[in-house]
Amino acid sequence: MTADILRIENLGVTFSTETGEVAAVREVSLRVGPGETLALVGESGSGKSTVALAAMGLLPGTARATGHAVVGGTDVIGATEADLAGLRGRTASMVFQEPATALDPLTRIGAQIAEVIRNHRPVTAKEAAGEAVELLRRVGIPDPGTRASAFPFQLSGGQRQRVVIAMAIANAPSLLIADEPTTALDVTVQAEILDLLRSLAADFDTGVLLVTHNMGVVADFADRVAVMLQGEIVETGPVEQVLLRPTHEYTKRLLGAVPRLAVAEPGADSRRTEGDRAAADPVVELRDVSVRFGRGRRAVRALDGVSLTVGAGETVGLVGESGSGKSTAARVALGLVPPSSGSVSLFGADLGRTRGRARRALLAGVGVVLQDPVASLDARMSVAECVAEPLRVHRRGMPASERRTRVGDALELVRLPRALAHRGPRELSGGQRQRVSLARALVLEPRLLVADEPTSALDVSVQQSVLEVIAGLQGELGFACLFVSHDLAVVQQFAQHVVVLRAGRIEEEGSTATTLLHPRTDYTRRLIAAVPVPDPVLQRRRRAERRAATGVTA
Amino acid sequence: MDTLLYLTRRVLQSLAVILIVTVVVFCLLHALPGGPARGILGPQATAQQIAQFDHEQGLDRSLPVQYLYYLRTLLHGDLGTSYTLNEAVSRLIEQRLPKTLVLTVLSALAGLALAIPLGMWQAVRRNKPVDYVITTLSFVAYSTPVYFLGLVLVLVFTQLLPWFPSQAPQGDTLGQVLSQPNALVLPVVAGAASMVAVFSRYMRAATLENLSEDYVRTARAGGSRPRAILWRHVFRNSLTPVVAMLGYYVPVLFGGALVVEQLFNYPGMGLLFWSAAQSSDYPVLLGCVLVISVATVVGTLLADIVQRIVDPRVKAGRS
Repeated sequence: MTADILRIENLGVTFSTETGEVAAVREVSLRVGPGETLALVGESGSGKSTVALAAMGLLPGTARATGHAVVGGTDVIGATEADLAGLRGRTASMVFQEPATALDPLTRIGAQIAEVIRNHRPVTAKEAAGEAVELLRRVGIPDPGTRASAFPFQLSGGQRQRVVIAMAIANAPSLLIADEPTTALDVTVQAEILDLLRSLAADFDTGVLLVTHNMGVVADFADRVAVMLQGEIVETGPVEQVLLRPTHEYTKRLLGAVPRLAVAEPGADSRRTEGDRAAADPVVELRDVSVRFGRGRRAVRALDGVSLTVGAGETVGLVGESGSGKSTAARVALGLVPPSSGSVSLFGADLGRTRGRARRALLAGVGVVLQDPVASLDARMSVAECVAEPLRVHRRGMPASERRTRVGDALELVRLPRALAHRGPRELSGGQRQRVSLARALVLEPRLLVADEPTSALDVSVQQSVLEVIAGLQGELGFACLFVSHDLAVVQQFAQHVVVLRAGRIEEEGSTATTLLHPRTDYTRRLIAAVPVPDPVLQRRRRAERRAATGVTA
Repeated sequence: MDTLLYLTRRVLQSLAVILIVTVVVFCLLHALPGGPARGILGPQATAQQIAQFDHEQGLDRSLPVQYLYYLRTLLHGDLGTSYTLNEAVSRLIEQRLPKTLVLTVLSALAGLALAIPLGMWQAVRRNKPVDYVITTLSFVAYSTPVYFLGLVLVLVFTQLLPWFPSQAPQGDTLGQVLSQPNALVLPVVAGAASMVAVFSRYMRAATLENLSEDYVRTARAGGSRPRAILWRHVFRNSLTPVVAMLGYYVPVLFGGALVVEQLFNYPGMGLLFWSAAQSSDYPVLLGCVLVISVATVVGTLLADIVQRIVDPRVKAGRS
């Protein structure tokens, strides 16, 4: 076997913060051989991204690294900036998580790729520009000659990620470090990007260090896996062994918390039986709702003739890719976006015709939990004030003592200790914050809960506990729930009825059990096929099937 | 959006703004006590003389009528006649404006030429001695009144070190003014000081923000050297918000010119404005305000257009 392209030995990274030194990574050792993919997995704060940045010598100035990180024979730890610049983009390259911000917004994409080429090879500007076009073609950008002069904002998220990848492979590096390369992308785009990375790595015999939290991506891509917990590697081994027969307690717990998309066995009987849906007593009903943003030719049709109902005690999942209109539909139900046509009825009253106090009383019956637990709580308010706010607005006459009791009760409902009431949201973890949001949503005892990607920003283990709390409370309090998510596995677990949106229209709907197992439309089928499942053996079969279906030959 | 459509819309908006400015200033000036007659005819004038002056100048008619009358003559390029200098306002502005433009444009260019590299240097050397020194100097420069700074400059560089003349270039034509570059140095420095202070702060903040952007990390990961990243990527991205501020800075520059012209005996718009304000010379005051507001609006318009050229996202209507 040839020498490892990346060898990390006893890597330690500490950050100096205002409260002292914090050890982010301790005693990490790993290696990546040519043509091999090592997945580094773990939850947020486990130090996996820090390891990746340390291997590129890209740690921020507040970090101090010890140990060795040898890339192609050069130890990155302690190397000069000039040595590192000679290494980066040539021997080792990196693909980042956020394609929206990874490119210079004012520089044409061709020029950004050419810059990486000319950093390392003495070619003329013209030759570099030609190579950039060739690279764009390679990463699957259509009409690369014209697109090379496009600015990043003119590309979609997936295309931008392809450009970042083109920059990364411009000098045929022997090591590619990919830090959550598909986390910000839709599943179908994720599948394409993973296919692309896989074929490029195979072409160049590139070693890949893949940092991810997504076990499905690991199963799809990795040869070996290293699991990180609190800065240390707790388990490492071949992908089948770690994902199917984990030995460490933490790995078992982590894998146990991953929501698994139940899929029909390949080639299994795909007939579906549709049970009757008890749609009596709809809590919220959208009838033929269309929403247009903007005017004239530039108008965007966010929703187009969407009808859906959520019955009492029922959970309806709204799924679809970004831009499909699922969040807009949730906002229409919340009365935040007026429909351009069609009508919304909430608790039997027409929301569009209710004004003033009656409208407010109606909306007091709706609770909402949003995606970002940091942004959706006012950092200047204490937890108690956050939760009490709906009471102050909608129950003005309520005495302060009763309000306090209600706030305490609400915190207890979401299983948060009352002692947290006087803390600020910043002092809480992401999962705790999201439970504060939930307590705030439930303090008025709503009949409808609208949850827009409530767990997308959370780690899987935290996601599980938040979902359990919501489900438990729904059984107890009997509210209806409109649940928006891009994660089909979560929806499958959580919702009884599912509505699949595509470009503002309902693609199909039905009971979750049958719709997600035996979808009727090609779109839903493609969507489901693109979700990687955290079982390497099954995922390999699914990938082969998906490629056969979409006609990919690479 | 279509560039032509955009330009038409922005120019129309600008005209509307200028019109509103003339209305506001016209009302404000007429609300001042004393009135021009008393100022021009002196304290000895009788009530009858004042009434006759008011009648001749149309000052006895209602305000809206006076304003419309003013606007009509304005559209003919006629800004009225000065009460005190016995000359057409347009002629006065014609004489004075180029001199002030020379002063302000040179101050602005010198100020930016210094402020932009300084701000970037500070950002790169953040929280190092250089940064602290420049920050301190910026605050000193920003909080020092222009007249005081000007006096210090005159004292140091004409008396203690007789390097420059204490008077700005004299003479009426642009050629004469520009033929004495030595005499322009001190006025330009006095005018540029606060500009350097303010814009180096903007540039420092913008550069710092951009240095922490993801695209800088991407460029580093591609093997680009820090200096190349700074000039090829960070510089341009930091410049856009600074350019946007430039338009709003035009009135400040004119305000500075008012003091600088006084101090260095340089008869431009500033001096004209100053003496007109003292003698309640309405037509001249309105003319000056009009010129300054047009300059501000044009400055903002130019800043917007430059931004549209520099940042392709603006043209596409995205933020």
